[in-house]
Amino acid sequence: MAEQQNGFPDFEKVSNDFYKQWESSMTRWWDQVLESPAFLDGMGKNAAGYAKARGAWQKQMDEMADKMHLPGKADLVRLARICTMLEERLLQQEDRILELNDRMVGLEKELIHSRIEAAEARLEQREQAGRMEKLLKQLLNNTGAGTGAGTGAADGKRRRAEGA
Amino acid sequence: MSSGQPWGHNLEKMDGIARFLAADPAATVQTGQTSHAIIHRDRKAVVRYFAPAAHSGQIHTPMFISMPLINTWTIFDLLPGRSVIEALTGAGVPVYLLDWGRPGPEDATTTLELLIDGTLRRCLDRAKRHAKALHGASEMDALGYCVGGTYLCTFMARYPDAARRMALLCTPIDFHASGRLSCWATPKNFPLQEIVAGHGNFPADMMRQSFSWLRPMGQLSKWKGLWDRFDQPGFRELWAAMEQWNSDNTDFCGAAYQEYVQRCYFDNALYRGGWKLAGREVRLSEGRAPVLVLAAADDHIVPPRAAFALKDVWGAPVQTRQLKGGHVAVCVGKELPAALLEWVRAGAQPAGQAEKQA
Repeated sequence: MAEQQNGFPDFEKVSNDFYKQWESSMTRWWDQVLESPAFLDGMGKNAAGYAKARGAWQKQMDEMADKMHLPGKADLVRLARICTMLEERLLQQEDRILELNDRMVGLEKELIHSRIEAAEARLEQREQAGRMEKLLKQLLNNTGAGTGAGTGAADGKRRRAEGA
Repeated sequence: MSSGQPWGHNLEKMDGIARFLAADPAATVQTGQTSHAIIHRDRKAVVRYFAPAAHSGQIHTPMFISMPLINTWTIFDLLPGRSVIEALTGAGVPVYLLDWGRPGPEDATTTLELLIDGTLRRCLDRAKRHAKALHGASEMDALGYCVGGTYLCTFMARYPDAARRMALLCTPIDFHASGRLSCWATPKNFPLQEIVAGHGNFPADMMRQSFSWLRPMGQLSKWKGLWDRFDQPGFRELWAAMEQWNSDNTDFCGAAYQEYVQRCYFDNALYRGGWKLAGREVRLSEGRAPVLVLAAADDHIVPPRAAFALKDVWGAPVQTRQLKGGHVAVCVGKELPAALLEWVRAGAQPAGQAEKQA
C-alpha cells in the first residue's frame, strides 16, 4: 500500500488505483455485454417495439384530433411539407436564375471580346487598305511614267506608218 | 484527485462542484462566439461566412466546411482559444460553414439525393460565388467532419471539380471497420424500417443515447475528469461547453437516414461500390481532388482504420494523419487547427491568384 512520509497510507493514491482497476474491469464487462448477441437482439426488439408504439400513439392522437375537428400533427406536418416543397422549388428557380445570369455574364464577356476583336480587325483592315492604297498610288505613279513613254513610242510608230 | 491533498480541500472542491453544477453551467455557457454572417438559406440549412481576421495579412483559398447532420456546428467554434474556425480565420482563411440546421417532422421524407445533390451542391455553389465576389477566389478547399465528411466525399466523387482539395476529419468510409457501431448497425440487430416508420425522423434523443451506450464508462470518465481538473483554469467553461454540445443533438431526416444506414452501414456500399444515388452510381474512384484524411487515435465511433480506408478507393492522392484525442475531443484540441493550417499553407495560393492566372 502506498504510504506517505508520515506513515499514514495515501488514501487518494489508493482510491485512484482502485478506481483505475475497477474502471478497466467494468469496461471489459461492458464490452462483453454490448457485443453479445442476446443483448443486441433484445435492444433491437426493444427499439422496434418502442418505434411501433410511438407510431401507433401518434396515429391515435391524430385520429382523436380528427374526431374533434381539430388539426392533428399529421395535418400540420403536411402543411409544413408543402412549404418545404415550395421552398425547394424557389431554390431551384434561384439556381436557374443564377445559371442564366452566369450565361448572360458569359455572353456579355463574349460580346465585349468580339467587339474588341471587331474593332481590331477594322483597324487592321483600315491599315491594310491604307497600305494597299499607298502601293496602288506607287504603282500608278510608276505606271503613269511608263505609260507616258509607251504612248510616245506608239505615236512615233503611228506617224511612221502614216508617212509610209 | 491530486495525491496528498488534505481532506478539507476535497470537501471544498465537492462544495465548489456542487455549486458549479447547481448553476446549470451548460445552459449559460456561450458557444459559437466568432462573428459571422449568414449568406445563404437552403430550407433548414444555412451557410455561415466567417471573414478572415483583419490582422491575418495574406488571404488564403477559402474553405467550405460540411458539418455533421446529427449535432450542432458549434463544436468547431466552441470557445475562444478552442475554436477551429477562429484558428483558420486568424490565419487568413475565409471560412464558409454548412450548418444543416434542425430538421422537423416535415423533413422526414427528405432523401440523401436532396441533401447531397440539392442542399450541399447549392450551398457550396453559393459559397463559391460569395468568395469570388468578395475575395476574387475562383477555387475553394473543402473540409468535412464525420457524416458531413461522408456526404462531402460522396459529392466530390460525383462532381470532381467542385473543390480544389478536400480534407476529411473522422469520416467513416469503410463502415464495416467502424468498431462497435458496425456491430450494432446490422440488418439483424437494428430494426431500421420500424424505427423510421414509427418515428419519422431518427430522433435526436435516441442518437444521444446510442452514442452514450457505445462507451458506457465514458459517462463516468466525464465526471472523474471534472473532479480531477476542476481547479484548472478554463476547464470549467470547457466542460460546460462540451456538456452543452453533447446534449444538443438534432434529428436525422428519416428517408435520408434509412438510405444512409442501409447503404453505408448494412451494405458498406460507399466503400465496396454499388450505391446508386439519383440513378448514378457513387464511385469514389472518380474523385480527382487530392485528399487529406485526419483521424483521431482514440475515436470509438470512427476508428482510424475506417477513415483511412479512403486510400484504397479514392481516385486521387490521399494523405493520412492521425491526431490525438477522441471523435469529439479532437475538435477542441490544439492538434487539429495546427494540422489544418499546415494543410492550408501547403496548398497556399492567395485568393484571386488563380483568377489572374486564368
